[in-house]
Amino acid sequence: MGTSAAGSILLASIRDLQWRSRRFILAALATGMVFGLALMMSGVANSFSVEIRNTVDILDAQTWLVRSGSPGPFTDPVPFPVSAVVAVRQAPGVLAADPILVGRALTAGAIVANKPTVAADEQDVNVLGVIPAGVGSPPVVEGHRLGQGDSHTAVVDESLGIDIGQQLALNGTAFTVVGLVTGITYFAGQPTVFIPFSAADRLNADGAPLATAILVRGKPTGTVAGFTQLTDSQVRADLGRPTAQADKTIQLVEVLLWLVAAGIIGAIVYLSALERRGDFAVLKAVGTPSSYLFLGLVLQAILMAVGAAIIGILIEIPMAGGSSMAVRLSPSDYAAVPIVSLIVGIVASILPARRAARVDPAIAFGGGK
Amino acid sequence: MTNLLEVSDLTVEYSSGGYKVRPLSGFSLQAEPGQLGLLLGASGCGKSTLLSALAGLLKPLSGSIRVDGTEVVGMGPKALNRYRQTSVGVVFQAFNLVPSLTARENIELVCRTAGQSRATARSRAEQLLQTVDLEDRMRHRPGSMSGGQQQRVAIARALALDPPLILADEPTAHLDYIQVEGVLNILRRLADDDRTVLIATHDERLLPLADRIVELSPRAAAAAAVAEHRNLEDGEVLFRQGEPGSLVYTVESGTIRLVRQRDDGTEETINEIAPGAYFGELAPMFGLARSATARAFGPTVVSGLPMSEFRARARESEAQHRTGVTND
Repeated sequence: MGTSAAGSILLASIRDLQWRSRRFILAALATGMVFGLALMMSGVANSFSVEIRNTVDILDAQTWLVRSGSPGPFTDPVPFPVSAVVAVRQAPGVLAADPILVGRALTAGAIVANKPTVAADEQDVNVLGVIPAGVGSPPVVEGHRLGQGDSHTAVVDESLGIDIGQQLALNGTAFTVVGLVTGITYFAGQPTVFIPFSAADRLNADGAPLATAILVRGKPTGTVAGFTQLTDSQVRADLGRPTAQADKTIQLVEVLLWLVAAGIIGAIVYLSALERRGDFAVLKAVGTPSSYLFLGLVLQAILMAVGAAIIGILIEIPMAGGSSMAVRLSPSDYAAVPIVSLIVGIVASILPARRAARVDPAIAFGGGK
Repeated sequence: MTNLLEVSDLTVEYSSGGYKVRPLSGFSLQAEPGQLGLLLGASGCGKSTLLSALAGLLKPLSGSIRVDGTEVVGMGPKALNRYRQTSVGVVFQAFNLVPSLTARENIELVCRTAGQSRATARSRAEQLLQTVDLEDRMRHRPGSMSGGQQQRVAIARALALDPPLILADEPTAHLDYIQVEGVLNILRRLADDDRTVLIATHDERLLPLADRIVELSPRAAAAAAVAEHRNLEDGEVLFRQGEPGSLVYTVESGTIRLVRQRDDGTEETINEIAPGAYFGELAPMFGLARSATARAFGPTVVSGLPMSEFRARARESEAQHRTGVTND
């Protein structure tokens, strides 16, 4: 096909889009909203895997030890006496080892003087009790790490909205925030609070010296009696188990949304193809090859889909901002939307384009269109 | 002078409503460059079908169409597209301009589809719109132009690639008498430029323009029809569906079965004509082709009369009947 022929397809397609601009704009808006929702779903699904990766990475262990029989350190932790860590530290291949206590707590956010706690403000947080300056003590993006001196300090995720120096109550016990971490949530955006191990024992184990896992730098060469060794990827799988079903559902909804988008574009282009049946017959009668008509409609669908993709991205940004769930999208996720929309446009236009290409040019005769 | 258009023994058949329809059967026509021919005939007599076949839009059942020495019947899709672009220009009854394009773009589109550059196509479109006196309407869309103006744009579009054959289907059907004048002048001028112009029409205002007139309805044949008496054997066909018909038949003895051919090749019996009843009057009365095949069912005798004689006999018979009733 020459450039002139391509120009003729472009001319006819763009003029028709202008001619039926209201319909195409409405369809692009509707499709854009669907694209926006799909993008947001994608961001939510991404956030599940990103938060899991971030949480495991920040604890910086090469091997995790959990009580034999426990599926993992996060989903069903089995406590054991913290003294077990002494034997682990002496095991061959272990460079360093510290206990961690995985628990949960309720918080009402920052404690403000003269302001009573309101039940509606309360939220669940993940609590990780770690040895200050030991394995698992998180590096901070602001403030400083957990100190060894004061057991009533905490490092919290930014999403909790508590600033350094403020206090938060965990199950009624006050902690002063000394540092902030970012992107450290799990179980679908639930913020994580790091507190000293001893404080965690008081909070979650009534002061008993218990741990739920041992974080190890290095790799024990033999088995440690009574413990199972887990790699980071096994821990990530454990952490992802509670949200796996939600993740699958979101992915299904995402696919359905892409299909809805394809349906909207397909329906509009199909309607356009039906209305332009007479035009196609005339164009074929004056020598326009069927392939040009086919490509013209595909081009229209692509233009509409790409327009909808841009609208979708613009819509997603405020939608994600207002979402209570974490939405994490990378530049490549945004870049993928026009590509996916291109595919959606092509798929959606195949049926109407085939119909246009098959129009009998003889219907141009006989006085009707 | 050599004929630009030669149509020989053309038969076109297609399916309509589940039945086979044959609007053209053994049709032949020759036309020279510079001739303006009128195709006259009643609705349904095959005018548009003939134009469709000449435009390469309808594949005939048999026969030949040669334009400028090139055989059109049997061309492949690419050659047909090229033929439609360069050898034949079509002017449609309802103008059929693309509504989203301006007058200039409607013509430009045809030129660019044929491979012309944007500048050449635009220049050609402007030149043609000047030819049809529409230089001030170039940027107007069809919806903001009168019927006459739209038809002139359609003529300009048909001329876009300077084809030697122009086909016009009822070009004045949607125009008032003021608009008709401009369109007729242009159509006449086209033929004067050594093109062959064929116009299918009912409009008798076009008669003075024509170099030749082609009657597609079998009116002439009807006028020359001669009465006949036929003895038919069982299964013998009296006339076939799609043939021209000039006689009205009356069954004297036996039975005539009227059958219609379905498009799947089977037949449907639509009526059985008993002695004393007549049939086949619609074809000669309206200049239509036979809509069914008449076949003898057992040994049968029929008499056929031209329409005028049949009417005279019918009036006589009615008068005798009335007299008889009065005398009684």
